[in-house]
Amino acid sequence: MAAADVPMVVLQSSDESIFSVEQKIAERSMLIKNMIEDLGTPGDEPIPIMNVTETVLRKVLDWCDHHKNDPPPTTEDDADSRKKTTDIEDWDQKYMQVDQEMLFEIILAANYMDIKALLDVGCKTVANMIKGKSPEEIRKTFNIQNDFTPEEEDQIRRENEWAEDR
Amino acid sequence: MARSRRMQRMSSGSNSSSSSSTSPERGADDDNDSFMLQANDSQSSLGMDLSPDMTDEFARREYEERCRVSPVHRLPAELLISIFSRLTANSDLQSCLLVSREWARNSVGLLWHRPAMSKWDCIHNVVQSIRKADKFFTYQDLVKRLNMSTLANSVSDGTLVGMTECKRIERLTLTNCTKLTDLSLQPLVHGNRSLLALDVTGLDQLTDRTMLTVADHCLRLQGLNVTGCKKLTDVSIAAVAKNCRHLKRLKFNNCLQLTDASILTVADHSTHLLEIDLYGLQNLESPAITALLTSCTHLRELRLAHCSRINDSAFLDIPHAPSHQRIFEALRILDLTDCNELGDRGVEKIIQTCPRLRNLILAKCRGITDRAVFAITKLGKNLHYIHLGHCARITDVSVVALAKACNRIRYIDLACCTNLTDDSVTKLAGLPKLKRIGLVKCSQITDRSIYALASGELKNGRRVHGGIHVLLNNCPKLTHLSLTGVQAFLRDELLAFCREAPPEFNDHQRDVFCVFSGNGVGRLREFLNQQKAHAAAAMQADGGSLAGTETNSETGDGDDEGVSVVQLTVQGNHAPGATPVVPTPVPQQGAWQHLTQQGYAFGNAGAGSLSQSAPASTPMFWSNGPAGLGLVGGAGAQGAQQVTGMMGAAILDDVDEGDEAFGEGSEIMGDAD
Repeated sequence: MAAADVPMVVLQSSDESIFSVEQKIAERSMLIKNMIEDLGTPGDEPIPIMNVTETVLRKVLDWCDHHKNDPPPTTEDDADSRKKTTDIEDWDQKYMQVDQEMLFEIILAANYMDIKALLDVGCKTVANMIKGKSPEEIRKTFNIQNDFTPEEEDQIRRENEWAEDR
Repeated sequence: MARSRRMQRMSSGSNSSSSSSTSPERGADDDNDSFMLQANDSQSSLGMDLSPDMTDEFARREYEERCRVSPVHRLPAELLISIFSRLTANSDLQSCLLVSREWARNSVGLLWHRPAMSKWDCIHNVVQSIRKADKFFTYQDLVKRLNMSTLANSVSDGTLVGMTECKRIERLTLTNCTKLTDLSLQPLVHGNRSLLALDVTGLDQLTDRTMLTVADHCLRLQGLNVTGCKKLTDVSIAAVAKNCRHLKRLKFNNCLQLTDASILTVADHSTHLLEIDLYGLQNLESPAITALLTSCTHLRELRLAHCSRINDSAFLDIPHAPSHQRIFEALRILDLTDCNELGDRGVEKIIQTCPRLRNLILAKCRGITDRAVFAITKLGKNLHYIHLGHCARITDVSVVALAKACNRIRYIDLACCTNLTDDSVTKLAGLPKLKRIGLVKCSQITDRSIYALASGELKNGRRVHGGIHVLLNNCPKLTHLSLTGVQAFLRDELLAFCREAPPEFNDHQRDVFCVFSGNGVGRLREFLNQQKAHAAAAMQADGGSLAGTETNSETGDGDDEGVSVVQLTVQGNHAPGATPVVPTPVPQQGAWQHLTQQGYAFGNAGAGSLSQSAPASTPMFWSNGPAGLGLVGGAGAQGAQQVTGMMGAAILDDVDEGDEAFGEGSEIMGDAD
């Protein structure tokens, strides 16, 4: 129930679903923000969000809603956050408890819609799924087929032995 | 072939709209795919047994099926890399490398970006892999950073030769690898067109041969630290200056053979120069400095400590621009330590031409008088750091004026300014931002002014709690505390935590020696806290009130009483008799420590800590708050900056990116293009 004076925008997913959202929320996406800046306030004209389906867009907008009042990131934050993988705030952690298909769709959408903080959370989540696992465990986690021959695998392991050192 | 290309486009381009914007971690130069030796191999797995007439539709369905089974497959390479770049442990990257061809392709560059060079096992394996004939990846092209400084002087030419094939190294850090010679280094830099930063501090066997190769090949070079490379001459340094047109940071400390010829060439060619350190270049004459200032207008840091031939004319001869006075807006840090020839006129001209100086170090410029200090007052709020140690001619009149005009001073050192009295100190105590004040051997100063500093009952209403105890508790990172000659601390129960006096001390020096360092500081802190707890318990038992424990701390424990003379020093070597101008890094920064010693220990072989330089005096070096001790402790990265960043970032408060440290510790060195 947005008040009459809250500016709204209309978004359209790739499967042509229509979302009416607060402009402030939508503008967490730099893609949308830039579009609005370049083309002027769209009014009732829906902004097409290609490549993002209704379910994913709904999920992404959930995130934007929760984070609509976040301060804009500073460059310093950027450099910091890159180094720490485990630091994900509670709400985001819960938000990211989705099946893998959705997880990667969110990452792709965040990348396409240019929502850096969401992309960051997504990448961290995946990185945390990798951490501490053996190659076989990683393959299992992500259902990846091992396309190395045993000889190749052995060769790579030997050539990169130095990295085992923690 | 055509098939596989199409497949590739499918997988990495299926979200083509998602391309450019992200993957902040990787620069444009990280063209990962080219590292595959067997280019087609990467696609072979996709090939299955498809007939040549496979349609796009078939490929699309194939791709969709793959993504359905394994959703991670949807991520394009740049996003995979962005995920991998968050893995800090090499072992995790190594696991990724072994998952599949796609994952290997996208993680190997991150893993080899900066190979582990801190243990011999690692080095042997790295070198072995690089030199192998039929290796899986062209590892040698992936190495962008090479840092051998952990093993320092145990690294020999034989080790480094193994890395000769790495021609894309951008940062090469060989600090204190003193065994290295031209034999391994010259071939390593030969043919390297990527090098941005080279640190060969302490490689005193290095000759012009290597540097001439650098000049011929490493044209992108931005940072060069040849501290202590005593064999280098003008021939190679001038060649580097001529050819490498992007030089930004130079450290020629104690390259004793260098003369004006090198510096004049730098002035002529390196118009992008930001920092230059010419510590101890005794051959330098004033005209070289005039030229440097005049042509390198972006210069932020100029360090001329112990360039004893520099005199006023270096600054007085700066030519006027056609219509107006030349102003060097960029210069923030000027170090003229021990430029004994410098006089008041020189300082006046410096202040006129460099109005935005933030750090001015005139220690041991013994010729300057109140006139120079009055000139310095014109820097006003720009001045943050001023060192006037051993400028014994200055008096209260100018120092009081300085404290009045430059109210943003954070650090001031007036060691051995024997004319100064309590008037100066009381005035300085009112500086709202003051973090440290050095008053070693200011013999006229009495308890009165120290209490002014300590209790902070000052006009600006700022309250500072005095006392060693408070100091200890406020400064968790404090690593060294010298209380030599302070009677209140020469007590057995406290001396238990004190370290041994250096063997070369005489009996009197031993008697007053009182230095706490390392663990001793922590144990002293603990002890005093216990004492205080006992005292508090006793007070409570007596029905006493504990209200305002913190503000009561001066009176709360007896240990602080009467401790009016404190010398707080930083650990590390420095020229005998001098108060340290530069804070040293955190001790645990193994690799950087070498650099410190190298950087500041010249002509000081075997010297111990500061207390040696003024062992029996009753020196004062008061720190009145936790902030001041940040200079002693400080975060890891900052420690590195303090040493390598030519001090800049450690002292400037609001440095911008261009100010970052030299070499390895810095992400900035490679910014330019």
